[in-house]
Formats: sequence, structure tokens, C-alpha cells
Amino acid sequence: MNLVRLYVMLIRASIRSRMQYRFNFWLSTLLATLVNVSEFLMVAVVLVRFDGIQGWSLYEVGYLYAVISLSKVIYRSFANDVHNLDRYLVNGELDQLLTRPLPLLLALMSQNFRIMLGETIQGGGILAVCLVMLLQQGQVGWIAIPLTLWIILTGAMILFAIGLTTSTFGFWLTKVEVLQTLTEDAARSAAQYPLTLYPGWLRSIFFTFIPVAFANYVPSLYVLRHEYGPWLLVATTAVALLCLAGVLAFWRVGASRYQSTGS
Amino acid sequence: MIEAVDIHKQFRTPVAKEGPFAGIRSLFARDYRVKEAVNGISFTLPEGEFAGYIGPNGAGKSTTIKMLTGILRPTSGLVTIGGMNPHKERRKVARRLGVVFGHRSQLWWDLPVKESFELLGAMYSVPAAARRKREGEMIELLEMSSFLDTPVRKLSLGQRMRADLAAAMLHDPDILFLDEPTIGLDANAKESIRGFLRTLNREYGKTVLLTTHDMDDIERLCSRVLVINDGMLRYDGTIPELRERIGLPTVIRIRFQREPNVPESAAVGLTPLRASVEESAADLAGAPFRIRKWEGRQLTVECNRSEVTAMEVLRAVSEWGDVEDVETSEPEFEEIVRRIY
Repeated sequence: MNLVRLYVMLIRASIRSRMQYRFNFWLSTLLATLVNVSEFLMVAVVLVRFDGIQGWSLYEVGYLYAVISLSKVIYRSFANDVHNLDRYLVNGELDQLLTRPLPLLLALMSQNFRIMLGETIQGGGILAVCLVMLLQQGQVGWIAIPLTLWIILTGAMILFAIGLTTSTFGFWLTKVEVLQTLTEDAARSAAQYPLTLYPGWLRSIFFTFIPVAFANYVPSLYVLRHEYGPWLLVATTAVALLCLAGVLAFWRVGASRYQSTGS
Repeated sequence: MIEAVDIHKQFRTPVAKEGPFAGIRSLFARDYRVKEAVNGISFTLPEGEFAGYIGPNGAGKSTTIKMLTGILRPTSGLVTIGGMNPHKERRKVARRLGVVFGHRSQLWWDLPVKESFELLGAMYSVPAAARRKREGEMIELLEMSSFLDTPVRKLSLGQRMRADLAAAMLHDPDILFLDEPTIGLDANAKESIRGFLRTLNREYGKTVLLTTHDMDDIERLCSRVLVINDGMLRYDGTIPELRERIGLPTVIRIRFQREPNVPESAAVGLTPLRASVEESAADLAGAPFRIRKWEGRQLTVECNRSEVTAMEVLRAVSEWGDVEDVETSEPEFEEIVRRIY
């Protein structure tokens, strides 16, 4: 509990630091919103033109898109520097964190809190529109709202696990930028669409090595389309927890291999 | 308090290939060269010791400190800090250590100094009242009251270093590791930091290990010196012992009123000789000194103070003519250290 309080305190300090550069903050918020909105518009145009893909309607795909975007917002807000670990490895900044009486991962996560206002508004907006439409069409009931929040949370856990695993490879490889593009960015972008779109081999990767399928696609099968059963959500949660446990063990191995810089 | 037993640290560094397509070939097969950064170092520092850890760049100083603080795991060997293994029990050990890296800051760059102190206090779970009291002491000792509300990024290097030292002391650690705390500072700032460190050691009984390239730091502060080069400990002892072991000569410059009458046997080739050979007083028998240079009225001799006193040398040379002026200079500490490297 003490660690949680400390984490909150450090996060608040990080926000205060960021607010020293207000102009930078508002500009980046504006740009992020613009980029994300235009990205989604591209998807929307295609969907409207073809009236959905592979049997998934515009609102269903919008839902997939919004859920994974919001999961990413949670992951990147609370653990931004997990994604930037290689920076700490290249210039040896990790030394500083290791002299503190905190678990290394917590020290790293509390370094930089990112306020992703643009992404939150945009993701939240799309999710709201899609859910309202799906509710009106009677495809889902009110229960879908708390379930969706839960999916976003477990999705964040899964994205965090994928991100942390990739970064941990940095203890051996130092630079993991390209690997991150593959496991984090490419995989997440792919998960914005129904996975039935992809060939079998690629889909099986998304179910195993880079399990983004469990972040939005699998739970949506139950929540939106009532396939399988409620056990699907339990299974998703179990997968998320397993991923977390696995990556934490891997992280510990990696961290003990830390070589620092210079001599 | 601090114990290192035969610690080694090896780094594997890729070796760049040479010849045609070197860049491409090194992508596929890499040769590694194992570099022994630290190669079998052992020492024990008792409580209250102020030890200086010196050596040229790349000798393994920082690597040793990183192993002692638990940042790096030794390839082999054992480190214990107050009975604990700093790598396995890093978080527990961290509570007892104050660590300052001269070229890095542990303060929050964009926040006022005061806020960094608050955050560190919480991180080390120091009760607020105790923290404020210690903070007050540090502010007074390091004269920091004028810049407490300034964001760290706007501090001068000297101010920042003082703030960093205070930050390292907030949780009242009994051991301090300082990696080049005076690097890049002007004379005043250095003096202020040295005074602070001396107080911590003498009055608060803190154990301190300091690395530096500034030999004044060592001479003014340390009761013990450890010299490392090529990853190995070359010397471990007190400063006077170090001077003696290296045996750098004391230089005595003597000006005579007239050109002195230096005996043949003493002057020949200006090589080392037993001064007492023929003409000096009986009690000088066997006392060595050496003529380094003889130019007209000016004679320069060198001797080892552990074997002969300056007075004895003076008495011997005064037999060669009337002495007008004498000047002696002790070997510089830097010179001594250079001899060990």
C-alpha cells in the first residue's frame, strides 16, 4: 500500500514537471488528437464505403478500435518509460534508479507520467458513439458498459506485458526500437480490425507470441456478438494475469543482467 | 562495514571487424572481447573510515562503486555492506547508502530543490518531522537557503552538487559513496563541499568512499587511499605510508655565496653517491643524498626524508662553501600517484 502511495506521489511530481512546459503540453495534445482522428477517419471511410468488413459493422469495428486505443492510453500513461527503457540503457541512467530503495520497475514507471488527453478524448468519443448506436440497435444491453471498462483494463495489462517483454530484451540487445515497432505498434494497429481479416499464420501469432487478440477481439466476440459465453471474459482475464506474471519473472532475469555504461 | 572479497567484473564488448564489408559482416557474426574491468579486488573499510579511491580513467573505479552499491552484479567474488549483499538485497542496502554521482543528478530536474527533498523523504520513508530537521541541518551546513525554491535545472553546478549531497543525506545513511563529487567545480565550491564531507565524517561518524581525480580532495579528506589501475588494487594504506613507499625525493636547492668547492667524488657524473664518503662529519656516515644539478653557485640535491634529515644534508654541503639561501620542496602528491599508475 505504501508503494502505491509513493507511486501516486511520484506521478504527481512528474505531472508538475510536465506542466512547467505548458505550451509543449497543449500542442502535443492537439497534434495527438488530430493524428488519431484522421487515422480513424481513414478506417471509417473504408467501412462506410463497404458497409463493414467480414461481417463486422462500422460500430463494431469502431468499438474494437476504441477499446484498444484506450487500453494503450492506460498503459502508456502509467508506464510510459517502460516503452523508453532503451534510452536508460544506452546512457546508463538506470544506475540512478537502482540506487533507490524501490523496485526497479516501479521506479521506472513513475519517472514520466504522460497525460494523453488527446487520445483519451478521441478514443472515449468513438467508444461512446459506437456503444450508443449498438445499444439503440438492441445488439447489446447496458451490461456491456461495465464489461467494456473491464476489457479496457485487461487489455492495458496485456499491452503492458507485451511492451515490457520487448523492452526487457533491451538488457541483451540494448536497442529495441525496431522490435517495438513490430510487437507494439504493428500488432496494436492490426488489432484495430477484426482478426478474421488476416491469414491464419498471422492470426496465430496474435493469439500466442504477441497476444493482442485477447486485448479486444476475443472479449468482443462475447460482449458484442454473444458468441461462446461469459467464460470468455474470465479466460481473457486469466490470460492477462498469466502474461503479467510471466513478464515480471522475465524482467527480473533481464534486470540482473544490467551492464551499465562506461567503467 | 564495507567488505569486498576478490571481486571481478568482466564486460563482453563486441569487437569491430576490419577489412572489406566490415560493417555487414559484423551484423552476422560478432567477435567478443572480454574486458576485465575489475580483476580481483579485496578490501575492508571499517566504520568511520574516510577512504579515497583513485586511479586513472578506465581503471575500474566506477565499476567497483557500482558493484558496491548493488547496481552491477560482480562476475565473481563477494561484496557485503553492513552484512548484506547489495545486489541480492538491493533495496534494503539502498536505505543505508547515500550515493552521489558527480556527473548525474538524482534530483527532479524541473522541480524546485525543496520538492526533491520531499519526494526523497517519502521514498526512504523518513517521517516528515525528522526530514525537516535533517533538511534544516543540511541547508545550514551547505548554505543552501538562497536556492531552495529554484528549479534544479536552473542551479549552477556548485549549487546542484550541494543539493545532491544534501539529498543523499536526508535518510541519514551511515555509508556514503561519492563518485567524483568535485568534478568541474571552482575552488570555492570544492572547499565548501570538502568542509561538509569532513563534518559528516568527523562529527557524524559516517563512513565515506570517494573517487576523485583531484588529489587535493584526497590529501585534505582521506585517512586512507586505495589506488586502482587496470582493475587491480595497487596500493591500500595511509597517505604518509604511500609517500614513503614510493620514496619520491625531497628536493633541496642551495645557493652558495661563491661557487662551491664540490669534491670530485661527489660531482662525478652527478650520479648517486654516498655523501659522506670523505669529507663530511662522522655522524653523516651512510646518509645518502644525490646531486641532481650543479650550475655555478646553484646546487640542487635530492634526498629521501625517511633516510636523512634536511639539516644533515645542509651540514654536509656547507663544508663545500658558505651557504647563502636554502629552499626545500616536498614531492607533490600528484607526482606520487603518477608513479604508481
